[in-house]
Amino acid sequence: MNNAIEIRGLCKSYGDFSLQNIDLTLPGGSILGLIGENGAGKTTTMKCILNLIRRDAGEITVLGRDSIAQEREIKQDVGLVMDECFFHDVLRPLDVGRVLAPAYRDWDAGLFRDYLDKFGLPEKKYIKEFSRGMKMKLSLAAALAHHPRLLILDEATAGLDPVVRDEILEEFLGFICDEDHSILISSHITSDLEKAADYIAYLHGGRVVLSAAKDDILDNYGRVGCTREQLAAIDPAELVRVRRETFGCEALVADRAAFRRRYPDLTVDKIALEDIMLFIGKGEEL
Amino acid sequence: MSGLILKDFLTARRALRSYFTIPIFYFVLTVMGMFDLTFVTVFMTLLVMLLPMGAFSYDEQAKWDRYAMSLPLGRRGVVGARYLFALLLALFAGAFGTAVCAVLSVTGKGDLLESLLTILATLAVCIWMVAILLPLCYKLGPERARIYMFVLVFAPIILMFLAVRLGIHIDLSFLDGLSDGALMAGFALFPLSGLLALGVSYFVSCAIVERKEF
Repeated sequence: MNNAIEIRGLCKSYGDFSLQNIDLTLPGGSILGLIGENGAGKTTTMKCILNLIRRDAGEITVLGRDSIAQEREIKQDVGLVMDECFFHDVLRPLDVGRVLAPAYRDWDAGLFRDYLDKFGLPEKKYIKEFSRGMKMKLSLAAALAHHPRLLILDEATAGLDPVVRDEILEEFLGFICDEDHSILISSHITSDLEKAADYIAYLHGGRVVLSAAKDDILDNYGRVGCTREQLAAIDPAELVRVRRETFGCEALVADRAAFRRRYPDLTVDKIALEDIMLFIGKGEEL
Repeated sequence: MSGLILKDFLTARRALRSYFTIPIFYFVLTVMGMFDLTFVTVFMTLLVMLLPMGAFSYDEQAKWDRYAMSLPLGRRGVVGARYLFALLLALFAGAFGTAVCAVLSVTGKGDLLESLLTILATLAVCIWMVAILLPLCYKLGPERARIYMFVLVFAPIILMFLAVRLGIHIDLSFLDGLSDGALMAGFALFPLSGLLALGVSYFVSCAIVERKEF
């Protein structure tokens, strides 16, 4: 299976913030979840993929094609949903279909209407009367109606209630059932990515600080709870990050089985993606 | 590209509705002899100048540009759609103006030649304005570009007022010596020069948008 996205040495500087040598790969037929704090560079990375901004250095290949030289062909196969709805308030879903149809070679008006029905979106109601959830569903219907092979989703589930979020996640999982389909999704809601993603890349301060298969991360990373004295006795090379609290310390380890073998007296627990983010974002390096 | 042109018409449909209702009302009053051709020139100006500017404002409100640039149309395609929208409005305004002139002439409410020359001159001014304003909208955004629109509209009026106050008179009496055909041909060059300016303006806007980040 070819890679849906390959990013090598991507750099983009805004002066006060820069993406630094980003290397990312989204294997075809899978979901890559991009996590990171606000301003970590997730949206900037996605904008570089879509050529919405100019990169300073690096190469990006999307669906086996160069993202600059073959931009228009690539975009025929890409569906985009961002954290807000870009359709004008005075349009109706029916209008959105008519506006987008000529832009895409494979626009499927029947499929678009099916999605509107499935999501319960009245085709003649003005978008200004839609709730946030309805707007995001409309964006998703528009992104899926031209039979894309790659979905790029930037905080697409942000601000949605759990029911709508679950519905949309189901749709992503349905989309990925086709082995030719792939999804790049950024989200602060790490629990969603734990459910759906195959791979996780963590961006921190414009760099990729963690990139691996989600199962490998969740199976291997762990949290050690200990006292300051116990922490001092641990080989710093074993610890990814450390957090010192009033009543003790916590440390993030990259291989909890190996750590357990080496320090059998210490407790190592499984850790969720959100806690890994907190460790890397707020913890200290030894 | 046709989808984006349709989008501009759809987002402007409320404005279009009022722009069309009012001229019909004035048209009836003009046929009844209560107004002159001025209403057509005002209508044409509103249509050709304000609607493309309005389209930028609607897009800015919806943050549409970022989405439009992610469509498989290319940046030139997105800019081209906006120019075609403006051009269609200009063509429609010209056709409407000509039709009104014909009706007024048939009903004996105006001189056909004079009316047509007025329409051609108005159309030319509008197209030139659009050719200047669209790149400004891409560069500065619709709100800041609007300031330049007011400058473009009022500067000639102020200059003419000053010219009159200073006793500067431009002798246009040579126009009386020209045949009707020569006058029409001469005035027809004005909108054509506007179309040429619109073509140059398109390339300027493309260059601005190529450098822009979304």
